[in-house]
Amino acid sequence: MGTISSAFSLISQALDADQSALSVVANNVANANTAGYTEETPTWRENAPIEINGVSYGSGVTSTGSTSVRDRVLEERLNQQQQLASASGARLTALDTLQALFTPDSGTASSTAGDIGTDLTSFFSSFSSLEANPTNNTLRQDVLSTAATLAGDISNAAASMNSQKSALDQDAAGVTSQVNALTTAIAQLNQQIETTSPNADAGTLEDQRQEDLSQLSKLIGVNQVTTENNGLSITTTSGQSLVSDGSSFQLTTGTVNGSTHFYVGTTDVTSGLTSGGGELGGYLTARDQDIPSAMASLDQLAYSVSTQINALNNAGTDLAGDTSNAGNIFSEPTEVSGSAASMSVVMTDPNHIAAAGSGDGTGDNSNAKTMANLANKAIVDGQTATNYYSNFVTTLGSTVSGVQTENTAQTASVTQLQTQRDALSSVSLNDEATSMQKLERSYQAASQVFAILNTIMASALNQGVETSVS
Amino acid sequence: MQEFRPHREHPELKKLIAEASRALACLDADRLEELALSCQALNRAWLPADVEMRTNLAREATEASGNMAVFARVLEATRANLHVTNRLHDLRAGRLEYDEVQARGWARTESGHGDN
Repeated sequence: MGTISSAFSLISQALDADQSALSVVANNVANANTAGYTEETPTWRENAPIEINGVSYGSGVTSTGSTSVRDRVLEERLNQQQQLASASGARLTALDTLQALFTPDSGTASSTAGDIGTDLTSFFSSFSSLEANPTNNTLRQDVLSTAATLAGDISNAAASMNSQKSALDQDAAGVTSQVNALTTAIAQLNQQIETTSPNADAGTLEDQRQEDLSQLSKLIGVNQVTTENNGLSITTTSGQSLVSDGSSFQLTTGTVNGSTHFYVGTTDVTSGLTSGGGELGGYLTARDQDIPSAMASLDQLAYSVSTQINALNNAGTDLAGDTSNAGNIFSEPTEVSGSAASMSVVMTDPNHIAAAGSGDGTGDNSNAKTMANLANKAIVDGQTATNYYSNFVTTLGSTVSGVQTENTAQTASVTQLQTQRDALSSVSLNDEATSMQKLERSYQAASQVFAILNTIMASALNQGVETSVS
Repeated sequence: MQEFRPHREHPELKKLIAEASRALACLDADRLEELALSCQALNRAWLPADVEMRTNLAREATEASGNMAVFARVLEATRANLHVTNRLHDLRAGRLEYDEVQARGWARTESGHGDN
């Protein structure tokens, strides 16, 4: 092709290529603030050399469009961390609400939390007072009054936990429609990408797919696999397919024992989704683990206190001289489960409090003394009632603290990865090297801070060797 | 005449550690390097034999243990993130052959760091 038109062609191609590159740059600037937009770099295809009068004139280039600067490994890591952060965030919110039920001084206007620890102390103390004057009507009334406060606070806490569980159930079910909308959109984008750009980056379409995937990662735990022709398959972390190329598989719900369960096809995936991550994982962990665990502890406390007190009252003599049949103070639970929610005071006449021992005169105080001494007996799971409750509150606080720590760290990790991705993948003036260097410097300096402080703290707490580190 | 004692005030450990966690989350390398220098100075001023100082620091250390746990977890997550980006850097530099299956395997492996 040795003609003058060839030379023009060479120049023209170069100009076209420049113009195309300028368009890409303009596109980057215009989309600088678009969520999920990935910087596009112009790509060039080398043309065959052009010969004019036997002389070969370089090689022209033709712009073949643009390729997004994206890295699926980094974005997958970001999505994974996002799933964990979303899960711990949702769980933490639920745990904070749960903890407030057992924190009387939480200070919130809507807090109806009673002080169960103080209630227990007051209840047993009322028997100590009665012990000093077992026929006194006011003191007898006091026993029923403190019993009612204790039962009321325990049953209110149980009712609030049941309400919270229902609210979490609704929140979890509400995620389903969002998940289905996103998986449908991703399947459609898969079709478009596989059709239009099976062997290269699909630019804006991939940005949209990545954005949808990022949104999906906030909702549930997923794994992603790149397939042939630039497609993307998505499964739950337990392996159930949600998207396979152009097809999406809907998440459906059903009710099992009063709780919403989740299905892909006919497979119950609730358990896998609980441990999988995302908001849904957080909701389900709180609904199926944290609240039931707290409820079980409260049930055990209510069951033990109710049955022990009732048994002792029925074994004594009341003010009317009734022996061995004075009646129950609390409603008698038939099983541990549900004891907290149903706890109430059934005795209405304080004269039925059996302060006297069996067979003793009505002025005797030995049974009141025995009931007062229950405060110091290991009647709940090998512990005193107050210690059991105190340990329950401490354990709950420790769980909240642990999840808080996880969430803070995971959120920090997400922030770091977004910084890295923005530097690498989005419209940014920072180049990769600067970004990497910043990450390395930060890590090195932070490691140094940690090592020094760890040594000083260990030494201060008499847990380490008392030597300085450099 | 009162004996001269050098003034050895130091910032509350709790605040210092929280600040380090925040700076690390944001990859504020400059601030972290300043904090590292502060910690070196604190380490030099720290005299385990000084009973008063030891008592105060023990109290602060107890109060700061939660913040230290957070800092440790952020540091661990950062190490994992650094590992991932270093691998990616190597890939781009052509030192490793890019392989989608391998890359996905790395991502799964790395997710174990700093998550538990």
